[in-house]
Formats: sequence, C-alpha cells, structure tokens
Amino acid sequence: MNSMTSKPSASEARVTSVSKEDVRRAHDRLHVQRHRAGGRWWMLLWLLMGPGILVMLGENDGPSMISYATTGASYGIGFFLPFIVLTFAMGFVVQEMTVRLGAVTKRGHAELINERFGRFWGFFSMGDLIFGNLLTLVTEFIAIRAGLGFFGVPPALAVLGAFLLIVAIVATKRYWTWERLVLGFAIFNLLFVPVAIMTHPVSSEVVRSFFTWSPLVGGVTVGFVVLLLSNIGATVTPWMLFFQQSAVVDKGLTPADIRHGRIDTALGALLAAVAAIATVLATTPLFIHHIDASSFQGGDFAKALVPYVGKIGATLFALGLFEAGIVAAITISLSSAYAFGEVTGRPHSMNSSFREGWPFYAVLLTAAGIAGGLVLIPNAPLVFITIIVNVIATLAMPPAIVFLLLLVNDREIMGERANKGWSNFFGIAVTVFLVLVGIIFGIITVFPHLLPA
Amino acid sequence: MKTAEPNSTPSKPTETAWVHDVLEPDQLSGGKRRYERCKLGKGTLILFWGLRVYVVLMICLVALSVWNTLHAGK
Repeated sequence: MNSMTSKPSASEARVTSVSKEDVRRAHDRLHVQRHRAGGRWWMLLWLLMGPGILVMLGENDGPSMISYATTGASYGIGFFLPFIVLTFAMGFVVQEMTVRLGAVTKRGHAELINERFGRFWGFFSMGDLIFGNLLTLVTEFIAIRAGLGFFGVPPALAVLGAFLLIVAIVATKRYWTWERLVLGFAIFNLLFVPVAIMTHPVSSEVVRSFFTWSPLVGGVTVGFVVLLLSNIGATVTPWMLFFQQSAVVDKGLTPADIRHGRIDTALGALLAAVAAIATVLATTPLFIHHIDASSFQGGDFAKALVPYVGKIGATLFALGLFEAGIVAAITISLSSAYAFGEVTGRPHSMNSSFREGWPFYAVLLTAAGIAGGLVLIPNAPLVFITIIVNVIATLAMPPAIVFLLLLVNDREIMGERANKGWSNFFGIAVTVFLVLVGIIFGIITVFPHLLPA
Repeated sequence: MKTAEPNSTPSKPTETAWVHDVLEPDQLSGGKRRYERCKLGKGTLILFWGLRVYVVLMICLVALSVWNTLHAGK
C-alpha cells in the first residue's frame, strides 16, 4: 500500500488502548477465525453473510415494491419479468465491487472518495447521498403508513411505532445483533411469494416471458420508459454502494472473506429478484381485469387484490409493504450515518457506544425522524414523492458508479484485488446503460410527443 | 500520517493485546492510516464535472416533468 502517507505516529506501530468498537469487532472476527480453522464452510457463510442480503432486500423497499406492483398491474406477465432479472444482475455486478473495496481497504465508500479524491468530492458525494436518502426515507415511511393503514392503524401511530422500532434496534449498539435482527425482518420480503401463488399464474406464460421478453402490451410509451427507469431505480441505487461497503467494513471483512461476500451478495440478489417477480405476478390480476392502478398507493393495491387473493393474500401483501418500508428505513438511515462519519472523520460504527459515536447515532435517528415527520404533514405530495424517488435514484447513479469504478481500479489501494477486464467490461456496460436510459428520459421529457402517451 | 479521531477509552493491557492479534491494523478505530490523495488528471476532472452537470440537468428535467404532469392534470 504505497499510497499511505508516510509521516509516523504513535498509533502506527501499536495503538495503546482499544475502543469498545474494536473489542466488539474483534469478538466477531475471532468467531470467524475459529470456524475458518475448523473448516466449517456453512458456519463460516452464516457468520459472514449479511451486508449483501441486507442491501438487496433493503432495496426491495417501499417505492420499489409499489413500482413492481404497478408494473404487474400495467403490463402483467411479459417483458418486465426478464427485465427485473437483468436489473438484479446489474445490481450484483456493481455491489460485488463494493465488497472487494471494503474488505481490502477497510474504508467505507464516502471515506475512500474523501481520501483519494479530496474533501470537495467527498462532501459532494455525501451531500448527494444524504439528500437522496432523505427523499427515499420519506417514501419508506409512506410504505409503512400504507401497510399498517390496511389494518386500520392511524398514520401517526404507524410512523411513531416504526421510529421507535428503529431506535430499539439501534440501541443494541452491536453490529452483529443489529445485522441479525434486520436480516430476520428482511426475510419477510418473501411474503409476496405466497400472494403470487394465490393468483395462480400460468406457469407456461411465465417461463415463455423469460425467453421471449414479451409480450409488451402497448409498446414503447412515455409511461413505459418511466416504469423502466423506476424498475432500474428499484434495484441499482447510490445508497446501496455506500451502505454495503460501509457494512462490510463495520462487520470486519478481510480479503480472505471476499468469496463469502460474493456469495452473500448473489444470494441477496436472488432472494430480492424472487420477491420482485412475485410482486409483479401478485398484481397481474389487476392487469387482466383492466383495473386502472396508475394512481394507486401501497395500501390501495392490497385492497384491490382482495377479490383475487382473498383477505389473507391482501393481508400478506400489506404486511410485505410494511416490511419493505421498515427494513429500508433502517438500512438507508444507517447509510447516511456511515457517510457522515466517514467524511467528517467521526466514529462511524454500529459497534460504537453512544458516548463514542453519538454524532453517528444522532445523524441516523435525525434522518429517520425528519422523514417520519414529513410523512405526517397534511396534504404533503406523498404520491408524487414516491413516483420520482426511483427515477431520481436512477439518474443519480452514473456519477456514483464512476467513483466506484475509479476506486476499484486504483491499484495503489486495491493491489491485485483491483478490477480485472471482465469486471470493468460489465461495470462500464452498466454505467453506459444507465446514462443512455437517463438521456432517453431527458429527451422524452423535453419532447413528450416523440412517444405515444 | 493522520489517524481517525480518537474514540477509545482506557482498556486493560491483556484486552488490548488480544484485540491487536485478532484485528488487522486498519480495522482498529484509532489506528487507521489515511491514504494519500491521488492526483486527478484533466480528463478525470472533466468527467467528474460533466457528471455533476448531468445530475443537475436531469434533476431539472425531473422537475419539468413533474410540473408538466401536474399542469396536465388541471
């Protein structure tokens, strides 16, 4: 690592004291080392999995599930099923790079941008992230409100309950406990699978759509392009880069763990793709019965599905929406706190005590608190915010991926773990694809009559 | 070399020793060495600023799109 600054310090040779954060991380690493020595592969995977599954299921958030539900209600079985698989493949390509970056450099994404490209770009990327995250967090609380609203829970109580749950999980002050608790919640993202089964989709149609990428009812329209962007934004977004890299560092992964980190990410992508496709299938009856869902909010989908999947199916759908919102609210608010700590040089770990890491915890809870508060403002344009969040996420992605590609190709910090040819090929292909889709969006916005409405 | 802001509390020597044995130096909250800043070439800076302009432009287009949608709804 010849890019390290050379001025010596007392801590360079040996830090004379360690923090609670260090002790807690060391305990986790000791478990990993023991199981690695014992050759227990599955146990090792259990210990090392987490950031990849969390980031992928976390991105199956409120607006994403609503986007998939709108896709199913607008287009049914067809083009979008294989397209969703493609977006998760893109997500895997991008997220795998963050695993390597975190494990090799032991630094979060914002921290690396700050150190390698300077404070100006560090603060810029942190600012972009925190702004984007705040908008996204608002939509997570909208999903929480909509999901619990199905059961008659008043909005204020739903938001307050969700906020208190976030506080309770944060209060563990232990990365491992936090991660396992959130993984426990995240697995309920698969609640959409039984709902999809209840709609009795024609399996031959589903299989055919994966091979033919059709039908695409109505052809290429403005609505189709917006939904396309929205589905990409439901899978590949800036906060995911920041979150997974920081979580990998906080968990204490090293280069020896990269293989398991990849498996963790692939498993997350697989589970999230299954849940996303299940959501499209679950709302396909609305398409078949020509029900206009264009202005539906989360809770409306659950109510509209009652005639096709019964009360139980609708209940599962509403619970799935709540889960999507709460898991994303927990992970996204944490990604803001990580970025803040990394750029400002303050402690930034879920292993920190409140005394050590109070600014970190303050940012996390403030972000969640502001977003929750905004949702309760009377007549706030919640539907509008939900629709544009995924679009903005897609448009903000190219700069984030360029930073990522530059860092992961930086041989001074990555050594032999720097990107090889194939990773660069796919990384650049994803970036070019996202820029092109963004430009198409720009063109149809300025010239809306180029495509049918 | 710069290190992260100290956030450690006094710990027992034995505790310090085993933690150092288990963790790599950069995994210690107080022992992380800062990377040198890399020199950004003209091409990289143009790319960074180009992407910055792209994001601002696209956000404006999103705002325009929303305005058009709201206007069309009236």
